[in-house]
Amino acid sequence: MIRRKTTFSLIGIGTVIAALVVFDSLIGGDWSPLFGGKENFVEFWQEDLWPPDWSLLEARKYPACEASIGFFCSKAYIGMLETIKMAFVATVLGFIGAILLSPLAARNLVPKAISFPVRIFMAATRSLPSLIWAVIFIAIVGLGPLAGVLAMTFYTIGYLGKLQYEEMEGMRSDPLEASRAMGLSRSEITFLVVIPEASNGLLSQLLFMFEYNVRHGTVLGLVGAGGIGYYLNFYIGLFMYRQVMTFIIVIFVVVVLLDLLSMFIRSFVNEESDVKRPSWKTIFLPPEAAVKEHLEKTDE
Amino acid sequence: MNHANSKPLVTLNDLTVGYDEPLVSKINMEIRPGEIISIVGSSGIGKTTLLRTIAGLVKPLEGSINLNIQPRGGLGYIPQKLGLIRHASVAHNVGLGARAGTSFKEDPLTWWKRRNQRVNDAIELMGLSDKADEPTRRLSGGQQKRVATARTLAQQPQLLLADEFLSELDEDNIDVVVRAVINYLEESNAAMILIEHNIERAVEISHRTFSVREGKLTELSDFGSEQE
Repeated sequence: MIRRKTTFSLIGIGTVIAALVVFDSLIGGDWSPLFGGKENFVEFWQEDLWPPDWSLLEARKYPACEASIGFFCSKAYIGMLETIKMAFVATVLGFIGAILLSPLAARNLVPKAISFPVRIFMAATRSLPSLIWAVIFIAIVGLGPLAGVLAMTFYTIGYLGKLQYEEMEGMRSDPLEASRAMGLSRSEITFLVVIPEASNGLLSQLLFMFEYNVRHGTVLGLVGAGGIGYYLNFYIGLFMYRQVMTFIIVIFVVVVLLDLLSMFIRSFVNEESDVKRPSWKTIFLPPEAAVKEHLEKTDE
Repeated sequence: MNHANSKPLVTLNDLTVGYDEPLVSKINMEIRPGEIISIVGSSGIGKTTLLRTIAGLVKPLEGSINLNIQPRGGLGYIPQKLGLIRHASVAHNVGLGARAGTSFKEDPLTWWKRRNQRVNDAIELMGLSDKADEPTRRLSGGQQKRVATARTLAQQPQLLLADEFLSELDEDNIDVVVRAVINYLEESNAAMILIEHNIERAVEISHRTFSVREGKLTELSDFGSEQE
């Protein structure tokens, strides 16, 4: 046992040393930029990035704003909302594609003759980043959100599909064996046994993928696939970094909010929720305060 | 009941089971409708492998198995770990058994009603009516064993393979489960192969008791002589 632990420790240390050696060769042995660039960043921050241009959170001058709150006509809101919409549609479509394909890729559910080509297809869709898919779809359907949605959908099928079939392969074998022995068909086993048993993991992955697509959706606009990335690209092109900074802050806030929302939804289906009903406070409060809140509730 | 005259549900011909190496060799046995067979023996000697081989989950190393049962729903299997879907409700788990055991040939509404009737009856019989919508992961070990039993009762198989599903149950639970299963087997003339740790209980429940020793399956003709 001790010998095994020592072997693992040596492998770990060896891997870290190998990474440092490879890094050194990548940068040609010159580590000085890593330590001497602080002044450049401070200068860039003070002269170009801060303070952000908050006017982007106000209503656009054209077209005329019909909403009672100007923020809802702002470039930041319109761009971010379009990105979220694109990510939502792509995640839903990608999830449907992935959940139909992943049982055909799981080796504990189908023979290798079926799982192998399906895995190859998924690997192919995953091998190109969504940015490259966006370029391809822009060539096919033109500039705009449609290309962005198709790009993210394709990538989602490959990426989420891989997570899903790994989740399915990792499930306990006894429900599968009981249902096979009963004589249930392959599709019944998939939809009535495998998917319900893997449901917590699948939901968690779905929420992760939505958050991932929102983050990546912001980049897709750089190649003209719509969303907040369109504005980012526009202002980067004009070197207007205060405006860029505003969009970065908006993206950061949205991603954090989505992460909290995802944590909240997941907290209902994990096994902890069996003994402790989650509440918004347990997500937003620091851990000590959340525990106190829970104990107070239990006392009641 | 005289089992000798009926046609065997299971015939094992020179069956050898195992994975890479044989665990139990040259098994010859016939199991007829209504019979309860128990297999006892210490852990890791191939009892579960034998059951999994009969269930069609493991290929025999040698010999053959003839099953004279319906391919769909004819065989019920309660694995050692019960085979429940932990995140699904009790009703969903029991429904799987009912689904396997009911035919799609009739019209969908009749099928649906019959399936639901089986689920409700089995859940009620196992005293789980108030837990029907609970995910099975929230239930105690004893309650989970009752869910697995309800799933089998809703399926109504001709042959039940049960792997130590009575172990670690308290006396009240054992009483409820054993009575329900034996009633079902008697009423529908179904057979059961039960792996059981407790030899006394195995002998009490079953018509024939077998023991796995040194890679052979031998019948315990006299429980007293085995104890000596």
